[in-house]
Parts: sequence; structure tokens; C-alpha cells
Amino acid sequence: MAIKNTRNFCIIAHIDHGKTTLSDRLLEFTGTIQKREAQEQLLDAMDLERERGITIKAHPIAMEYTAKNGHHYRLNLSDTPGHVDFSYEVSRSLAACEGALLIIDAAQGVEAQTVANVHLAEKQGLKLIPVINKIDLPNADVETAKKQLEDILAIPAEEAILASAKAGIGIESILEAIVERIPPPSGKSDAKLQALTFDSTFDTYRGVVIYTRIVQGTIRAGDPVKLMATNTSYDVKEVGVFKPQQPKFFVREKLQAGDIGYVIANIKTSSEVKVGDTLTGARNPAESPLPGFQVVQPMVFSGIYPINTADFEKLKAAMGKLQLNDAAFHYMAESSVALGFGFRCGFLGLLHMEIIIERLRREFDMDIIATYPSVIYEVLRTNGELLKVDNPEQLPDFSLIEEIREPMVICYIMIPNEYISPLMQLIMDKRGEIKHTESLDTKRVMLTTELPLNEILVDFVDKMKSITRGYGSMDYEHGEYRPNKLVKLDILVNGEPVDAFSSIVHRDKAESRGRALALKLKEVIPTQLYQVAIQAAIGGKIVARESVSAMRKNVTAKCYGGDITRKRKLLEKQKEGKKRMKAFGTVNIPQEAFIEVLKTG
Amino acid sequence: MVRHLYVHIPFCPKVCPYCSFYKEASDRNKTQAFLDAILLEADQSGEGLRPETIFFGGGTPTALSTLQLDFLISGLRARLDFSELREFTIEMNPATVSREKAAALLERGVNRVSMGVQSWDDALLKTLGRVHSASQARRSYHILREAGCRNVNLDLIFGVPGQSVALWRESLLRTLELAPDHISAYCLTYEEDTEYFERFRSGEFVPEEARDAEFFEVTMDVLSAAGFEQYEISNHAKPGRECLHNLAYWNGADYAGFGPSAFSTQAGLRRRNIADTAEYIRRIQGGLARHDFEESVPDGLRASEVVAFGLRTKQGISPEGIDPKVVSALTANGYLEASPDRLKLTRKGKLVADAVAAELL
Ligand SMILES: Nc1nc2c(ncn2[C@@H]2O[C@H](COP(=O)(O)OP(=O)(O)O)[C@@H](O)[C@H]2O)c(=O)[nH]1
Ligand SMILES: C[S@@+](CC[C@H](N)C(=O)[O-])C[C@H]1O[C@@H](n2cnc3c(N)ncnc32)[C@H](O)[C@@H]1O
Ligand code: SF4
Ligand SMILES: [Mg+2]
Repeated sequence: MAIKNTRNFCIIAHIDHGKTTLSDRLLEFTGTIQKREAQEQLLDAMDLERERGITIKAHPIAMEYTAKNGHHYRLNLSDTPGHVDFSYEVSRSLAACEGALLIIDAAQGVEAQTVANVHLAEKQGLKLIPVINKIDLPNADVETAKKQLEDILAIPAEEAILASAKAGIGIESILEAIVERIPPPSGKSDAKLQALTFDSTFDTYRGVVIYTRIVQGTIRAGDPVKLMATNTSYDVKEVGVFKPQQPKFFVREKLQAGDIGYVIANIKTSSEVKVGDTLTGARNPAESPLPGFQVVQPMVFSGIYPINTADFEKLKAAMGKLQLNDAAFHYMAESSVALGFGFRCGFLGLLHMEIIIERLRREFDMDIIATYPSVIYEVLRTNGELLKVDNPEQLPDFSLIEEIREPMVICYIMIPNEYISPLMQLIMDKRGEIKHTESLDTKRVMLTTELPLNEILVDFVDKMKSITRGYGSMDYEHGEYRPNKLVKLDILVNGEPVDAFSSIVHRDKAESRGRALALKLKEVIPTQLYQVAIQAAIGGKIVARESVSAMRKNVTAKCYGGDITRKRKLLEKQKEGKKRMKAFGTVNIPQEAFIEVLKTG
Repeated sequence: MVRHLYVHIPFCPKVCPYCSFYKEASDRNKTQAFLDAILLEADQSGEGLRPETIFFGGGTPTALSTLQLDFLISGLRARLDFSELREFTIEMNPATVSREKAAALLERGVNRVSMGVQSWDDALLKTLGRVHSASQARRSYHILREAGCRNVNLDLIFGVPGQSVALWRESLLRTLELAPDHISAYCLTYEEDTEYFERFRSGEFVPEEARDAEFFEVTMDVLSAAGFEQYEISNHAKPGRECLHNLAYWNGADYAGFGPSAFSTQAGLRRRNIADTAEYIRRIQGGLARHDFEESVPDGLRASEVVAFGLRTKQGISPEGIDPKVVSALTANGYLEASPDRLKLTRKGKLVADAVAAELL
């Protein structure tokens, strides 16, 4: 197919505005899937995604479409995650596209994530096609949606296509707009190969599968290719495109300029493929690699440790597999006095962290502990040296610190008018500042605020949601570093600091947080044979103490013959329970304690 | 050779709301078939059994009539070798004791009686749903003594909702006045599938760890001062009056069990008879397998059971194979008393015996 008949696009939308439903309709309309095959939502492949209603992973899919002008087109659809934690993945998908459908729910209007994603798409020069979805709803308000398009996103309202993904309205207009408004890819199929690897996955039978956008040139099975960053060569075994249904891999003879598809090239380990790298011909390489895209740095860090030290290798393997299709996830071996050997992990944001932890638990069946999340602090030492610190344990002695700077974020929060004052209170509590306020319509406002990233890591979103009864939405962009009065808060168990519980917090909040943590731990640590003293300390000074007194009674009353089995099972259960706790000397701390500490903002 | 026999009699005059032993309200129509089934079971599996101890438990064995008990004991005697029998215990509910029954039982060889008094306070007996009063229990006790029973145990329960420590101390003292040979003092346990458990789950009954601990301590104080030795967590005996049958369980001996829900452990195999009287009878009559649970108890497992149970006894356990670090932490904190060849619970350790056992295993 000629490159001029190829269109590469993706869909950006706030959660629940209908991205997945619309994708399914497009796939049906183009005959890529039969209607009966369209199970609920085809594109959301992973369980976790379905549960959380977010698409974590981008899956490109090829469709064929004959337009009203009689020409035949190939449309490549990349799905994109909706949450800003995944802006990295969003920009990867965007990098493979020339255009994007921007979905707005006619009943909800523009949301915070819409704003953040539109900013991203515009930065990458994509053609946006606004789609106002769910016009079938009785409370659809198309006029307001159009006004918001113009006022907030500066997109001409007349470009909007009115649609209902559910009722199948406007699907053909959308396909026509894709063909008409999105430019075809540029690039020559007979030029030297330059293919952008924008993702990869690991298939048990095929090894590493590269997701690629061919920018120029052609790639075929049998071609010798090389990855430019690592300068390693491979023989291509197979190329093709993705289909939504099984078998997912649809073999093609070649991929050429403008195509999006996959390449399998006998690559054994995930670490060999750097996402963003350029694939070129081994014999006739391109002069330079593609600009790739900016490798985002993780913003949030946490230590992840196996509960059973023996699981270290298993955890390492699991992390390797996860990183393969989530290049934004970073990990590095570290050790903790309290927790033994584990990994320091970097995430794009808190949602990203939660998802990784949940996937480790669920898909890989790992019993793990995660330490309190940290951002990257800049620490200026008295000798003028500047350190980057993502783990409270790396802080130098406080007498050697000139100042500590923390990362700020610009946060867009959209809420119904009536919740402004409690929300402003929340922002104050989180050491934030409201930069400006803008009415979206008669009912909603958008607050542009500046907050320390550290303060929105743990419970900010939950609190914002609960204040606004679920009607608020937010998203953020990273801002600058700013010095602040930060201190290290330690938690001591029986006199020993448990490094996993340490955190860097603002001085004015340290004491109350210390008290809250100590109390929380007292609640979740079960009584045991030995008394447990819990203390919170700031710079060596104890600011709170609690204790879990030793158990008074724990003994079965009666043991007759048959009870032996029962009693033994009871003891076995006790032992099993202990195994799931982390032992610190004579104290056992249950997994929940670590989770609770994570939740105590 | 198996030396210990348990016979389960699953009938009670009235079912108590806290009790999870397998039992049903007495049913005259079933009893004869039941007795026949027990004897059939003795025919089927009495080989290799020469009991030193027999324990008739329940339920309430004395829910059977004098005649029925006579039939059962004579029947067993005709089938099994009683020549080495040293201890023959029968459990009683105070409401099911009569002069004739006591005399007949003693005449048939019963030499130990265990009676469920539970409390000497009528209000508490009512809370416990018992059919008898305190004075009836006292009368029954005297009947037993007058009939010539020289080895009597009384069961007591503490930690009952509404029971104060003072009331419990009082119950212990009233028990001592009667000079029994043995006292079993059980902390009330909320057992699944009982009315009490439901009330505990609904939050109506709230177990209080600290108060239960106090009950335990009072028990130890009062009974040891009266010359009783706590030879197992819940069991206190005058010298030489320990229950041999229970000691056999705790020492890991083999035993046979007849009757519905009875366990037996023989040659590394532990099995339970089905806990359903009608079904038990049907299977025995048809010569069918009567077990609904079975597990193998290899030597290693048996050894760890002996640790768990031995720890509860006055002999304690051997320190062999136990992590010395764990032992020294437990001794340093006053839970264990360690000598080169024995580990024993201290007084403080007895209160948390299960947690200590979990550390040691
Ligand atoms: N009434 C109506 N509901 C829709 C429409 N499109 C999607 N939905 C519903 O909106 C919800 C979210 O849709 P989904 O496609 O998962 O949104 P996503 O989170 O953006 O992928 C689902 O319950 C859909 O059935 C539409 O056009 N009309
Ligand atoms: C089978 S009964 C003894 C004889 C007779 N059935 C009676 O109740 O008088 C065994 C003893 O176990 C004790 N017991 C039963 N259920 C108990 C529970 N839930 N918690 C503590 N002890 C219990 C009682 O002390 C009872 O006397
Ligand atoms: S405590 Fe005794 S009398 Fe009451 S139900 Fe249980 S076995 Fe029967
Ligand atoms: Mg979706």
C-alpha cells in the first residue's frame, strides 16, 4: 500500500470518555473485527486495566478502510493511556502518529487529563480531530463542550465531530476525517531504513517483539538489522502488524515507510532493546539515528523488597519482565538494614507505582513490601556539592546540609464551584499555592496550582476526589525545584530505626506525621510475645512514642485426642502468618504495616 | 499393641450453647442400634487392642441408662482383653448421675469419673445453658463418693461472659471444699458452629485477653496452694492422680477411638470416624469404611506434635533440634525455663503457650 494511503493516529481522552468503546466501533466499522467478536472492550488487554478502567499499555492495531473517495487506506491505531503518570507512554504513542482523535464526553466536558494530553499532542505537532462523544445521553451538552474546546483548548469548535460510540453515531465521519485531515506519513520506502522502536514486549515463543514505526525505508524477514544505540546486529525473523484478536501477530511480507507494526529478530533478552532506539540496516545503515524521544526520568521512588529474602532472584526476574513492556519503570538492586536485599524502583508517578506493585503481586505472585515513596531531592551540601537524593537514607548528616530543594508540580484541578473552599483548604494543607482560577462553565472552575510533588504523592488525589464527591479531576506537569525546610523523619521499632519507614517531610508537618505514623503502627502491629516500642524521631529527637504491649494470653484450653490435628493446624496457621510478616529481631511487622505507612500522608 | 481406647457417646440431655463436641439430644430409638454398632466396631477393629486406659467421653456417656451402660461395658469386656486395664474414666453431666448408675459403673470396672460442674454459680450455669444447678452438682458429687468412687475429676470453665475474677476464685474454693482428686479448668473457647461463636462474632461476647490471663493466674495460685499440681495447662491433679489417658495423648501414644467423631491414631495413621450417628451406624452395619478424615502422621510430624503438646505438660520438652537463639530469647523474657536436657514453660509462659510453641516449632 502506498504511503500516501497510510494514516497513523491515536486516541486521547479523559478516563471514561469513551476511548475504548470508540476504538471498538472503529474496528467493527472497518471489518477488522466482527461485531460478535467485540467482547466488551477489546483493547484493554490486562485484567488490571479493566478493573481500574485505564489503559496502561499501548497496543497498535492495523485497520483497512475504503473511503468515500473510493481509495483504500490503512489506518494504524495506537491506544494511549489516559493518566498523566503515563505521559511518557502517551508521548511514545504520539511519536508514532501524525494525528490524534481527541474525545470529549458531551455530558462531562473537558477534564484535567484532556488538557494535559492536548498539551502533549500539540508539542509533538499532531493534527487533532475533536470528537464530542456520548451525544446520545439525555444530559449531553454539546454547546458547552464546544465552547470549552475553544476557550480552554483553543481548538475551533466547527472542527468537532458529534458522535456516540455506544449508539454508533458519527463513526464514518470520524474515519473520513482521519483520512482527510491527518496527513500521511512522510518518508521514502526506498531510503535507508530508520525505524523507531517505540515499545517492546516479550513473547514466550518468539522472544522480544519490537513495536516499531518505520520512518523511512523497508524491512523484511531475513534482513540483517542493527539497533543503533547498542550497535548490535540481528537477523529479522518476522515482520507484521497487530490484530486485536488471537492470533495477535499478523505476518506481513514487509513493513515500509509510514507503517506501524512489529519486528521479531532473534533478540533474546529485553535489556538489549532500548525503547526510543533506531533500527536500521546492518549492511547499509542510516547516517544517524532518529531523534527518538525524550527519555523521561522517573519522578517517584520506592524500595521494593521480597518478604522472604529467598525470593530476591524471583523478584528480579519479575521486574525484568515488567520493565520490558514498561520502559518507564526503573529498578536497581539496593539493600536495607531492615528489609535485606531488594530494589530501589523509579516510577513516573504514584499510580504507576501502585500498578507495578499490584502487577508484581498478582501476575508474578510476589509477596513484597514497598517503602514510603520519595521524590528526588536536590541537596546542597555546605561544601557546595549538589546531591540528588531519592532515598531518605542517602541524606548526609544535617549539619552538612546547606539546603534541601524539592520538586514542584503545576497541577490543574477541575471541580464543581461549590467545592472551592474545602479544596483550597486541602491545597493549603499540602503546602500548595493557587496560581489562578478560571471558570469552565456556569458550574465548574479550573484551578491552576503549584504544589510540592511530594505532597500529592500519597493521598492528594483521594482527598480531592472525596471532597468533590468524585466530580473533581486533576492532572499535573512537572515544575521547578525550590528550597524548603525539610527534615528526615525516622521510625524506631524497639530502639532501632526501620529505614523502610523513614521519610523526608516538611518541618512543620514532621511531628504530626510522626505521631500519626506511630499510632497507625501501634494499631496494625499485632500483640506478640515481646513488647514492641514504636518511636518517631526527627534528627535523633523523639517526638512520639507508642507501644504494643506483649500478649497476655494465647493458649488453647483443651487438647484431647482428636484435637491434636486441629491444634497442629492452628499452630501451622500461626507459623504461616508469621512468615508473611517481616521479622525485626524479635518483632514481627505485618505487610499491612508497610501498606498503612504508605497510606499515611 | 494399642493401649488406649476412647469411646464417644454422642448423646446429651440438652445441648449447651458453647459446646462443639459432636453430640445430639438423646434419642431412645437410636440408642440400641448405636450400642450394637460400637460393639460391632470393637469386633471389626478390636484386634491388637489391650487397653490400659479407657475413656468414655462425649457428649454425655451417662445420658445412657444404667442398663445400656451395663450392656456396653459388658459387651466390650467380652470382646477386648481388660486384663491390663488401669484407668477407666467416664464423663458425666451432674444431671445424669444416680446412686444405681454410679454403683453399677463402679461394679463394671469404671474407676474414674469426670464430671462437668463448670461453675458453682447458678446465674452463670444459666448463662452456660446447663441443665443442672450448683446444688444438684454437689449432690451428684456426694453420690459418686458415697458409691465408692475414689478418683473424681471436676471440669470448670472460666472466662465466661459476666464472670468476675472474684466469682471464679469463689468457684475454685467451693470446688476445693469437696476435695476432688483432679480439676480441669478450661478457659471458655468460642468454637465455630456454636451459638456462642455467633454471639462472639456479632460482637455481643467480647473476649478479654487481660482478664482471661488474670483468671489463669488465679487458677494457678489457688490450686497450687491447695496441693494440686498443674501437670498440663488446663489440668491439675493431686499427686498420683493425673489422667493416664490424657497423658497418653500428649506423649504421642497410639490410641483407638470408637463411636461417631472419635479419632484414632495407629501405626502412623490418624483417622476420624464420621461425625454423624445414623451414618456411623449404617456404615458399621454394612461393613463399610467409617472414616471421614484420614491423615498420615509420619515420625517427624509426631515428633513436632509431641513438642507442641509436651510443652503444655510439666515434663516439658527436650531442647534437641531447637534453635538456641529462640530459646535464649524466650528464657531471657521469662517465658521458658531451660535446663540442659529440658525446656519448660514458666508460669508466665503458660499463659502464652501457643505463641511459644509457634516460636519453637
Ligand atoms: N451513553 C453512552 N455511553 C458511552 C458512549 N461511549 C462510551 N460509553 C460508556 O462510557 C463508559 C466508558 O467508556 P470507555 O470506552 O471504557 O472509556 P475509556 O475509559 O475512555 O476507554 C462505558 O460504560 C461505555 O459504555 C456513548 O457514546 N454513549
Ligand atoms: C464432654 S464435656 C464433659 C461432660 C459433660 N458432657 C458435661 O458437659 O458435663 C467436656 C468438658 O469440656 C469443657 N468444654 C466444652 N466446651 C467448651 C468450650 N467451648 N470452652 C471451654 N471448655 C469447654 C467443659 O468443661 C466440659 O465439661
Ligand atoms: S458440654 Fe457436655 S453436656 Fe453440654 S453439650 Fe457439651 S458434651 Fe453435652
Ligand atoms: Mg478504556
